[in-house]
This record gives sequence, structure tokens and C-alpha cells, in this order.
Amino acid sequence: MRSSKIIRTIVQKLFPFIVLFGLYLISHGHLSPGGGFQGGVVVGTAIILLALSYGIEKTEKKFKNRRLSMLEKLGILSFILLGFLGIFTGHSFLGNFLPLGRPGQIASGGLMLLFNIAIGIEVAAGVSIIFYALVKYRGEL
Amino acid sequence: MSKEMKKVFFIIIILVMATLFILSVDIEYGNPKNLDVANYYIDKGLHDTGAINLVAAIYLGYRAYDTLIETIVLFVAVTGVVFYLRGKR
Repeated sequence: MRSSKIIRTIVQKLFPFIVLFGLYLISHGHLSPGGGFQGGVVVGTAIILLALSYGIEKTEKKFKNRRLSMLEKLGILSFILLGFLGIFTGHSFLGNFLPLGRPGQIASGGLMLLFNIAIGIEVAAGVSIIFYALVKYRGEL
Repeated sequence: MSKEMKKVFFIIIILVMATLFILSVDIEYGNPKNLDVANYYIDKGLHDTGAINLVAAIYLGYRAYDTLIETIVLFVAVTGVVFYLRGKR
């Protein structure tokens, strides 16, 4: 099923900006309100919006379920591996081994940015996987 | 474990929980002597972790373990949802 042309056009124009806002929330999580969880949900919402307006089949061609679940595992595995890198460089598990940088810059906070990116990938993929499962196995769109 | 043992354990657990609850009734959360950890985070958070967002400094710096487990919980939740919705194939 497809929505009306108005909705499809608006979603098509809006989609990159929603994703950009989500990426901003993820990457500035240590500087401003936001973070991996919130930004990931925003990116996942963009994919859900695409599925609501264009139908699930067309969306699945662009964002394959298999690839999304791979991304989800990649996110959580990179989080754990970053934690173990802390041990190998002589700090504690999940300890920060990068230089802290000047406060207020995007590179400050050391590992925090990488943690946020890993969480964001995981949450975005997870939210859209749940939506795919709900649509595919329980109901139609 | 016999039935009587289970009953005794149950009563002991209930008593311990009741004691803890009664002891916790008159904790003052605004009392300055209970705010050591919070004041430490406010004073040293920027210096220790380098993040000006104090919330991020706590949940990704001091308590990154908590966040890791939280992420794993989300992962398991997604797995469970997909597993139960898919059903028998």
C-alpha cells in the first residue's frame, strides 16, 4: 500500500534532514543534550517514516533487514571491543585511553564520541528491526 | 530443599526487606551529608572525563558499565521481539 503523493514528497524531502539531525545528536552527545540512544531513535524513526509512506517492500530494498541486523551486532561488538582496548592499553575495562582534548570541542571526551556512535548504530538498527518484524509478521502496511 | 525450609527462608526474606524499608523511611535526600557523590561529579566531572555535558560524563564516563549492559538489554529485547513475532517457520 502506498500513501498519497503529498506525504511521499514531504517524506522524501524531509528524510535527509531527519537523519542529519540524528547524526548531530549522536556526535554531539558529550557536548549538548542528546546522545547515542536519542540520536539512534531519531535515525530509526526516519527509516520508519520511509516505510510508512513508501511501503515496506521499497524500504527494504534500500535498507535490507539483513544488513540492519549486521549493523546492530556491529554496534554492540564495537562497544565491547572498545571496552577491551581499554584493558590492553593499560587502563580499566571501558577506561578512556584517548587524550581528553580541550573541553567544548568535538574531539574532547576521548572515547565518549566512539561510544556514542556505537550506541547510535545499535539503537537505530534495533528500532527499525523491531518495526520490520512487527510489519512483516503481524499485520500489513 | 523441603517445604518448611522454603517457608522459613520466605519469612526471613520478608523480615529483612521490612527492616530495610523501615530504616529507609527517614533518609533525607536533600541532606548535604548524603550528597557526596553528586558533589564529586559536579566538581570533578569535567576534569575527569573531558565532557561538558555532565549527564554524558556520568553515563559514559563513570558508569560506562551500566551503559554497556543497557545496550545489551536493548539487543536482547530486539532479539526476543523478532524471535516471538516470527513464530514457527
